[in-house]
Amino acid sequence: MKKLYIFCLAASGLTACKPNLEPEKPEAGQLSLERYLAVGDAFTAGFSDGALTKTGQNFSYPNMLAEQFGLVGGGEFKQPLLPGDNGYPVPKKVLAVRQGPCDTNASLRIVDYPGALDSINSSNSIAINGPFNNTAIPGIRAVDYIKAGYGENNRFSRRFFATFSGRPIDEVVRINPSFFSVWIGNNDVLDYAVNGGKESPKPFSSVTEFAAAYDSVLSMLIKKGAKGVAMNIPDVTTMPFFTALPAQVVNLTRRQADELNATNTMTFVRFNEGPNYPVILDGTDLRLLVKGEMVLLSLPIDSVKCAGWGTKKPIPGQYILTLEEIAAVNATLTEYNNIIRAASKAKNIAMVDMFTYFRSVSIPGTPYNGINYTANLVNGSFYSLDGIHPSARGYALVANRIIQEINLFYGSKISSVDANKYPGVEYP
Amino acid sequence: MKKHVLIATTLALSSTMSFGAGYQLNLQGLRQMAMGGSGTAVPWDMSTIFYNPGGMTAMDHWQIYGGAAFVMPRSKYVESPTGTYEAETQSQTFVPFSIYAGGPTSWRSPVSIGVGIYTPFGNGVKWDDNWRGRYVSQESYLRTIFIQPTVSYKFNEIVSAGIGLIYATGRVEFRRALPITDENGVDGSAELAGNGHGFGLNAGVHINASEKVQIGFNFRSKVKMDVDRGYASFTVPSSLQTAFPYTAFSTSLPMPMVTSLGIGYAVNECLTLQGDINITGWSAFNSLNIAYENNTPQLQDQNSERNYRNTIALRAGGHYTVSDRIAVMAGAAFDPSPVRDGYVSPELPDANRGILSAGLTYKAFERWTVMGALEFVSSIQRESSFDEGGFKGRYQTKAFAPGIGISYDF
Repeated sequence: MKKLYIFCLAASGLTACKPNLEPEKPEAGQLSLERYLAVGDAFTAGFSDGALTKTGQNFSYPNMLAEQFGLVGGGEFKQPLLPGDNGYPVPKKVLAVRQGPCDTNASLRIVDYPGALDSINSSNSIAINGPFNNTAIPGIRAVDYIKAGYGENNRFSRRFFATFSGRPIDEVVRINPSFFSVWIGNNDVLDYAVNGGKESPKPFSSVTEFAAAYDSVLSMLIKKGAKGVAMNIPDVTTMPFFTALPAQVVNLTRRQADELNATNTMTFVRFNEGPNYPVILDGTDLRLLVKGEMVLLSLPIDSVKCAGWGTKKPIPGQYILTLEEIAAVNATLTEYNNIIRAASKAKNIAMVDMFTYFRSVSIPGTPYNGINYTANLVNGSFYSLDGIHPSARGYALVANRIIQEINLFYGSKISSVDANKYPGVEYP
Repeated sequence: MKKHVLIATTLALSSTMSFGAGYQLNLQGLRQMAMGGSGTAVPWDMSTIFYNPGGMTAMDHWQIYGGAAFVMPRSKYVESPTGTYEAETQSQTFVPFSIYAGGPTSWRSPVSIGVGIYTPFGNGVKWDDNWRGRYVSQESYLRTIFIQPTVSYKFNEIVSAGIGLIYATGRVEFRRALPITDENGVDGSAELAGNGHGFGLNAGVHINASEKVQIGFNFRSKVKMDVDRGYASFTVPSSLQTAFPYTAFSTSLPMPMVTSLGIGYAVNECLTLQGDINITGWSAFNSLNIAYENNTPQLQDQNSERNYRNTIALRAGGHYTVSDRIAVMAGAAFDPSPVRDGYVSPELPDANRGILSAGLTYKAFERWTVMGALEFVSSIQRESSFDEGGFKGRYQTKAFAPGIGISYDF
């Protein structure tokens, strides 16, 4: 009797002791996510590690968003996928242990993918498979969206545009979106910044042109009643492309410093043991870099170590952002972002403040699902190896920031992306 | 690289689980377990060496007592605020145990002596290796064994007091994935394990306030479990191996002070009711600091805020003597969580707990008593985050624990 009683209790206990917790179901609210259109540039295309790849496209934030939208009525999401994975048009960046020509030891470095490219057929048109939901075009500026004929001159739009005569904005709305995301304007400032400011062959877009283009793009997107979300331009100078190399980029031993000081003809410079500010060419001015100025990640560091860049020869201005140029970048960016904010408000669409979000990743960093994301190159997890475009996990965080804003603005309950599902930076 | 096996042999007499709130266990006696964990006032048997050393002199003969519980906890995680992701801890059975021996130094002596070996703290949580929170925790264990020689003195028919010295030994194990991926996309991992030890004391006063009323007061001190030399091993891509060396580490984990006040009331010859208030000094767990012997730029000492708060648990139960041989017990308890919002980690997904329990004792022979108890624990669903790791969600823990014990009276 007693035994039976205990066994009954034990049996009921076994079922009662399983937690009965269920996650709350996501909801679209007032949104129709059946046809989601992503408009943008390299960030939206899934550009990562300095190149576009099929894997990178699959890890684009619009594709991640589409996956979450799929839980609440979202439809198919077509991307103009590349055939290859090693980079197009240039090889992607990877980490490798390498010894530079003037290094005493091999160390972990960012290098071009050393294997053969698999970009054959990458330039073929796949427009016949369209229209596409992700219409991002790496390299495009906001102002280009209203330039008729632009499509033919960009290798990425040439792959999937059905016609080239019209304006890109007319071409990208082919799927007749019920919901859209638009993240444009990055290249209008990056073209200037990543090429060293005034040395860049591509200056800033004019503010009036930018405003007109932005307004046309948004008007076109909402024309048939689609709802959407716009992203503004990140705080570009907090990206590792601008911050990873220290301003005192020249490292000298005592002996190297003494030798340089003995032969050096530039009276304004005296080198010391340890880190030194480099000599640069600012316009036609030969001078030392000063605190607060930036050495760009594009700088061929072996030329500094072996060929006397920054010591015997000035570092060309295309690898430097001077204080004046940084100020110009920030001022222009603020004007563009004011336009984006005003336009999205006027058109009554959600706006994600990526400027502030990217900044918050830089200072103080963002912990998410056990990873502390920072703006450090390589080990910061947020950025890919090119120092500008996020990694797959970085894009997942971007997607989550967008979802947060969509939910806030439209009252939907779309669930967030599991960033840990995506790969991190891969070490040899 | 792996010099020790982290996943220690299962079962045996280990004392691991996540059961009481925080990493405290309340399974040191079968009768007490059956009465919601209360037991400070009434010295039912030699397990009073743990519950209140002052009660030892109430027993006029020697007793050897042994018991074990089989604890099967399950915790579940779901993502929040919305989503589809859910994860459950792997099913494991933990066996906390207790052994007591004690009695008067001679016939009718006012002095009793005894020793207790028991497992008052423990924790064990194992998630799937590939789950979403793997960079926070994949597996964590705490095992402790306390050894407590005890002496008790009966001042008069009303008041007696006892004190025991505690030597504590224990083991902590912790494993998580590192967000450092190799060329095949495989995560790195960090495994830490070490043995610790510490000292403390357990003192109590027992008062026969009247024919019907007993009062107990018990103070169990904090035991600082020092892990002087644990070992950490890291699995990382080859290019980072020098940055993450195999290294010793040191840390310390507080087993908090518990102060209890209990009252027992004999309603009639058969029925006794009892209740306890436990104050647990969890605020001693302020932070978890791990100091590595070999630091590198990538491998720095870790200081992780815990910021626990003190808790007050309430326990009550009743004991009904059915016959000379049989007694039945039942009880309930409310055990609040010491973990504040913002600090709820999957390593110990803690929440306020409700406990229901029941038990039965059967005097099989003149000197042998067999004891059985069952306990159900359910935490209230808790939505919270582990801010340090940016990990949030909703958790619930449930556990089922049958216990058995046997005592022999000399």
